[in-house]
Amino acid sequence: MKRSISNSLSRIAFRSLAGIATLTALAAVSGLRADETCSSPYLARIEGQEEFVYVWTLGVQGLGDGSDKLVTIDVKPGSPNYGKVIHTNSVGGRNEAHHGGFTDDRRQLWLSGLETSRIFIFDVHTDPSKPRYLKTIENFEQITGGAVGPHGVYALPGRVLVPCLSNAKDHGGRTALVEFNNDGGYITTHWLPTKDTPGIVGAEFADGYGYDARVSPRKNVLLTTSFTGLNNYLRDFGDLVKDAAAMKEFGNSMVLWNFHTRQPQKAFHVPGAPLEIRWAWGETHNYAFTATALGSKLWLCYEDANGEWQAKEVANIGPGGGVLPVDISLSADDKTLFVDCFGDGKVRVFDVSNPHQPRQICEQVIGRQLNMVSQSWDGKRLYFSSSLLAHWDKSGDDNEQFVRAYHWDGRELKPAFDLDFNALKLGRPHHMLFGSTQIGG
Amino acid sequence: MNILKHTLATSLAFATLNGTLWATDLPRTADHDYDAPAPGSYKLPIVKRAADGEVLDSDGRPLRLSELTHGRVTVMSFIYTRCAAAKACPMATGVLMQLHRLSAEDEALAKHLRLVSISFDPSADTPSRMAAYSALADSSKSAAEWRFITTASQARLKPILDAYGQAVDRKKNPNDPTGPLNHTLRVFLIDRDGNIRNIYSSGTLDVRLVLADVRTLLAEQPEKNT
Repeated sequence: MKRSISNSLSRIAFRSLAGIATLTALAAVSGLRADETCSSPYLARIEGQEEFVYVWTLGVQGLGDGSDKLVTIDVKPGSPNYGKVIHTNSVGGRNEAHHGGFTDDRRQLWLSGLETSRIFIFDVHTDPSKPRYLKTIENFEQITGGAVGPHGVYALPGRVLVPCLSNAKDHGGRTALVEFNNDGGYITTHWLPTKDTPGIVGAEFADGYGYDARVSPRKNVLLTTSFTGLNNYLRDFGDLVKDAAAMKEFGNSMVLWNFHTRQPQKAFHVPGAPLEIRWAWGETHNYAFTATALGSKLWLCYEDANGEWQAKEVANIGPGGGVLPVDISLSADDKTLFVDCFGDGKVRVFDVSNPHQPRQICEQVIGRQLNMVSQSWDGKRLYFSSSLLAHWDKSGDDNEQFVRAYHWDGRELKPAFDLDFNALKLGRPHHMLFGSTQIGG
Repeated sequence: MNILKHTLATSLAFATLNGTLWATDLPRTADHDYDAPAPGSYKLPIVKRAADGEVLDSDGRPLRLSELTHGRVTVMSFIYTRCAAAKACPMATGVLMQLHRLSAEDEALAKHLRLVSISFDPSADTPSRMAAYSALADSSKSAAEWRFITTASQARLKPILDAYGQAVDRKKNPNDPTGPLNHTLRVFLIDRDGNIRNIYSSGTLDVRLVLADVRTLLAEQPEKNT
């Protein structure tokens, strides 16, 4: 019986091959994929359009309750509350709320504090319109062996990867990547390589600094970038820039890792604090972009014709530098890159159809200061937020704090809604992530 | 076409897409365009303990899940047989098929590896249905053990799903051609002592990586599993 079943299956198996190819192709072209373009490739996807934008917001003393908080904005088309804050969840106290991320099943949202190293975990599955606080990881420094400043939370299968910014020993830029399981249990710590780490090509460029960490599953590689330590990111920006010694304590490297083995393989010299990494999505597009905050350059890390990974500068950002590029967002078709510039509050839009020769096609003022950007998969909607760091944000009238949504028609950004986080007494809005009641596999 | 036959055929097709079923030197593919690491050249830290639970085998006999997560290196895949999503359960079962076929030619794998397919759809995946699904298992006595498991009820299943973080939701359309359930793809690598050492999903479920991980664990000395 088993043999006859196997033979029968073998005959129809090869007919299934065509079916598999068709299904895969259909998924690629029919727009079945949705969700934010910058999220982890391992993340369960939103089906259809985003319904909520979650905003991790820094508290401001004397403004509202003064606490860091998770703010939920309704962005469902046709909703009577479209463009309005529908829920807030204060965590009590200020932690230098910064970035966060979902577990791969999209049931939990983990949000980190750069000053306290606390990670707050929320349930966003039971009622996505009202995230529910679950618990806090309070002992990050102790359990990780001295990593501090958890910067982001990046979904991996059954676990999260937390790239950090600093260390408990000297609060400088030497730091680590940390892994937790989805229950919040600690797994392991990987310290960023230095020049003394054996077996790395370009080890002389490895400064041990960290910032972002992103995976290309198809190539089994992980890329990391480099920023600065707690001594600098908690310091007043005006004081910092006058301190020549402190200004040398910024990262100048990217590192390529074998993702499966978590072993660093190659370090690249990328001067001027390379920050966010965005891998291209195309099936043969083996490259990623980053922008250097202090260098005001766009960089490309790519696999060359010999299968070797390289990094090179590909464009200037802003006229003569100094615009402090921060967050970037790559469209799902890999053709358009949005680069936010904190210094002049502009978003600069590049045609990156040829990633080796980006071409700026648009430049638009979003606010007096600008940091984060999140883009929908269909490329039609973008959301921007203003805050960079509590001690680096501008002062006076320049200290606009907002979440602004726009429609993108391929040539210009047209306003959709504008939330003034100062007027709403919420605080400094930072990382934005998409939520929905419709989550696929 | 009978849905079970279709999903079984899809699994067989996936096993074939990745190279011949019996190849021991599996090549790169478009989805996995890299060389697999050498077993033992890296470490696999403990992710968490593999949870226990009350399950049924394909003869309907009650078992403790812990009986299937100790004593051997176990590759355990959460599936449901009504799943027809190309890169979900059929793909996972296809990978287990490849491991099973390879183990028939590898004494160490045959002796020390265990494969487990466990359903999260007990209403449809009865023991007899799991027995039919087990037609995928090679009847060769030299291959690794492959068990097909379900549970008696949702009440028995839920603590297992919660413990393993296996997210399952009903789709709005129960007649969705790819199956009525949304789920995260989860395949677990469990060491002899019942510790989860890796978790694979659609982006990381490459039989070459799973095989390298299995061999890495087999090379570990039992007292060093920490």
